[in-house]
Amino acid sequence: MTYDIVIIGGGAAGLAALHSAYEDGLKILLIEREKTLGGILKQCIHNGFGVHHYKEELTGPEYAERGIEAIQDLDIDVFTDTTVIDISKKKKEFTLSMMNTVDGEFDVKAKAVIMSTGCYERTRGQIQLPGERPAGIMPAGSAQRYLNIDGYLVGKKVFILGSGDIGLIMARRMKLEGADVLGVAELMPYSNGLTRNIVQCLHDFDIPLYLSHTITNIKGKKQLEQITISEVDERFVPIAGTEKHFDVDTLLLSVGLVPDIKMFDSLNMDISPLTKGAIVDQFFQTSVEGLFACGNSLHVHDLVDFVTQESEKAGEYAKQYVKEGSLRQKKLTSVMPGDRVRYVLPQKIDLTADQEGWTFALRATENAQRGTFKIYQGDALIMEKKARFIAPAEMEHIEVKKDLLVSNEPLKISLEVLA
Amino acid sequence: MYDYLVIGAGVTGANIARMLSKYELNVIVLDKESDIGNGATLANSAIVHSGHDPKEDTLKAKLCVRGNALYHELEKNLDVPLMHNGAYLLASDEESEAQLDTLFNRAKYNGVHAEFVPLEVAFKEEPNIAKDTTRVLSLPSTKITYPWEVALACMENAVSNGVTYKGNQTVNSIQKDGDIFTVTTEEGDVYETKHIINAAGVFVEKIAAMIEKDVPYKINPRRGEYYVLDRRTKGFVNRTIYPVPSVRGKGVLLVPQIHGNILVGPNAIEQDSLDDYSNTPDGLRWVRNEASRIVQNIPFDQIIRTFTGIRPSIYQYDFYIEESLEVDNFFHVAGIDSPGLTAAPAIAEYVEEILKGKMRLVKKESYDPKRRKLVLYNEMTKRQQQKAFDEDKRYGNLICKCEKITEADVVKSIHSPIPATSVKAIKKRARAGAGLCQGGYCEHQVLKLLARELEKPLTQVDYYHPSTPLVKTETKVKP
Repeated sequence: MTYDIVIIGGGAAGLAALHSAYEDGLKILLIEREKTLGGILKQCIHNGFGVHHYKEELTGPEYAERGIEAIQDLDIDVFTDTTVIDISKKKKEFTLSMMNTVDGEFDVKAKAVIMSTGCYERTRGQIQLPGERPAGIMPAGSAQRYLNIDGYLVGKKVFILGSGDIGLIMARRMKLEGADVLGVAELMPYSNGLTRNIVQCLHDFDIPLYLSHTITNIKGKKQLEQITISEVDERFVPIAGTEKHFDVDTLLLSVGLVPDIKMFDSLNMDISPLTKGAIVDQFFQTSVEGLFACGNSLHVHDLVDFVTQESEKAGEYAKQYVKEGSLRQKKLTSVMPGDRVRYVLPQKIDLTADQEGWTFALRATENAQRGTFKIYQGDALIMEKKARFIAPAEMEHIEVKKDLLVSNEPLKISLEVLA
Repeated sequence: MYDYLVIGAGVTGANIARMLSKYELNVIVLDKESDIGNGATLANSAIVHSGHDPKEDTLKAKLCVRGNALYHELEKNLDVPLMHNGAYLLASDEESEAQLDTLFNRAKYNGVHAEFVPLEVAFKEEPNIAKDTTRVLSLPSTKITYPWEVALACMENAVSNGVTYKGNQTVNSIQKDGDIFTVTTEEGDVYETKHIINAAGVFVEKIAAMIEKDVPYKINPRRGEYYVLDRRTKGFVNRTIYPVPSVRGKGVLLVPQIHGNILVGPNAIEQDSLDDYSNTPDGLRWVRNEASRIVQNIPFDQIIRTFTGIRPSIYQYDFYIEESLEVDNFFHVAGIDSPGLTAAPAIAEYVEEILKGKMRLVKKESYDPKRRKLVLYNEMTKRQQQKAFDEDKRYGNLICKCEKITEADVVKSIHSPIPATSVKAIKKRARAGAGLCQGGYCEHQVLKLLARELEKPLTQVDYYHPSTPLVKTETKVKP
């Protein structure tokens, strides 16, 4: 079976990409490894989703429902309970190997592939937590799944490492279920979560947030018994004498998300060391022609609204690619992060493409009340944009018009902080 | 009444149990852990050493070389995985070159094949070894195994030949009345036996002290910390890469693993505790620096896990494998640190000789030396996969996508001869959760399969040890 477009992953990104890629006559397949569509939104039962995209506050499942309804009547194939295990490409055709309990292992062919496979949580192994390795330490998202989908609480006395949004949300969620949440420790001097989550999940429940702190010991032979946190200096080295001990049975980790793209390894696409996702051009096309990326498998988002908006574009371009055969004409120009900018996306643009301009997504490396984003081409400053309340936790978007360009040199975006 | 009671189901105890199962004997193996091989067997470098390193004329030298050869029997009869990838020992200055000569001569003396390889060959074979390497000694008989599976294979084979295995049995007292030992456990069980073989690893002295006044050795536990790199790094080194031993210890190695990962470690730090498996930032930093001396550009961005093992060393250099001087029919198998994994089958053979010197052992007619491993879906050929799926649709349900483990693999592990009854026990048998996401995606599915197959509520399925459920309570309102 040959499809025009195969979309891998039926969460927010895949649903949005599918919706915009759809057109009568195109053969489209959506593959989802779980029983139902919706992805991680299904377990995010708190509200706050959709404010930008739908202009109303929805819960995660409600947001997912909107995306599912939008594709319900489309003439497409949807394989649920089906897991993709490998992808290869010969000439212009992709072969996707997948498996399920109905057909076992089987292949489908595709002209274009959209990766919307989401992300996975960093584990204690990846951040090399010191101390013993008892039961009771798990990623916050896993605890969220056990609680919100399966209906089980993973512990009674909880500490949380990392102030990412999932950690904050789970602090409140565990508290509401009757667990004792003793605190949240964050290595950085600022929180990695959205401000509204700090206020609504920690402050409102008197849960202390220990900034510039990390875990320096874990005790427990079988079940977790105690954790120790210490303050860190500017170089993140723990300061002796600042230890605080907490007797807990559970440590939840909210220490970062990583794009889940291992299944694409055999395609050898270029991967950004900054986002750990694919390097893409303005069409959300990876270095492998015909392979598009969007959502958290491209870079980790703080708001699902932006996932939807980005994925709609990726779907649009995938459709265009299938119809036109190619999107890439000329050499690509790099777009690089400058001072105080962690990454910029897309990382490459084709300056000759027939477009009025581009929207860049980026993240700052520090908090700032007020600042100015400066866009350079080579040494020339071509644009400035003032911004307020800049935070690493919140993704920024900057639109750059093509007529501002002065050469073919690479672009760079920096942040200047105003005192 | 048992003829033999073995304390400890690590790789040593399991090999001894398998040896005993050849004879008309009533044998039981007790282990304090919920699963076999949870001590030094679970956390080591996984190397089947050539025997170039142990000092001349020691038991370690003799049993290492013999053990290395016996692994071929384990591979053939027990389906134990064995990677015949060899090793390189590297020198980078005059001092270490001199040591390489010493090791070369020792290898020769110990009967181990070793040869110097031209540098250009070494760099071609292992392009990532340090550029300042000046001399390379190749040890072609060095191999890699999956240590835990060695213990499992031996124990499964022993059990199928009539041995009883019981986990969650912590021995807390041993009495002897006449010829009969009475062994009691913390869990409240009592066993009577005519002989005891103490293969309790790091707890060997503690066990011996229950029956002997003067235990002839003192345990000296030494921690070793490791990094595990993701399977993506497969091929970064193909052989085990050793430095020469130095004042800094035996050295940090890079060891390709059976499943494609690469281990980097260990350090060697003496500690008092018998069960503190802590990782320390200082220890790991040291490992990282030491490893970078022999291999360049190690992909430390591909770390998926760190772990710590405890070597059951004693203060004597050599293994201590003897009958007790104080108590008849009580046998010590102590100080089984490196090359203990390699030596394990030879240790069993050595114990067999000691026993034969004491009593007549009658061969069991029905003894079958063979054991077939549970073949995982990802180890099958395409045709086998198709056949397996046709017979059991659960082979189509992918549980762990990192390691490509199916529902059928997990269910068969639960119902295997030494059953997996915890999330971690599944990880050891079927590798679900051993990959990049470390169980982030599959853990809840494994948990549910365990609950279903063991007919237990979710809140009673352990992560590993008894009473360590992953989920503690059911919330009031079911979603």
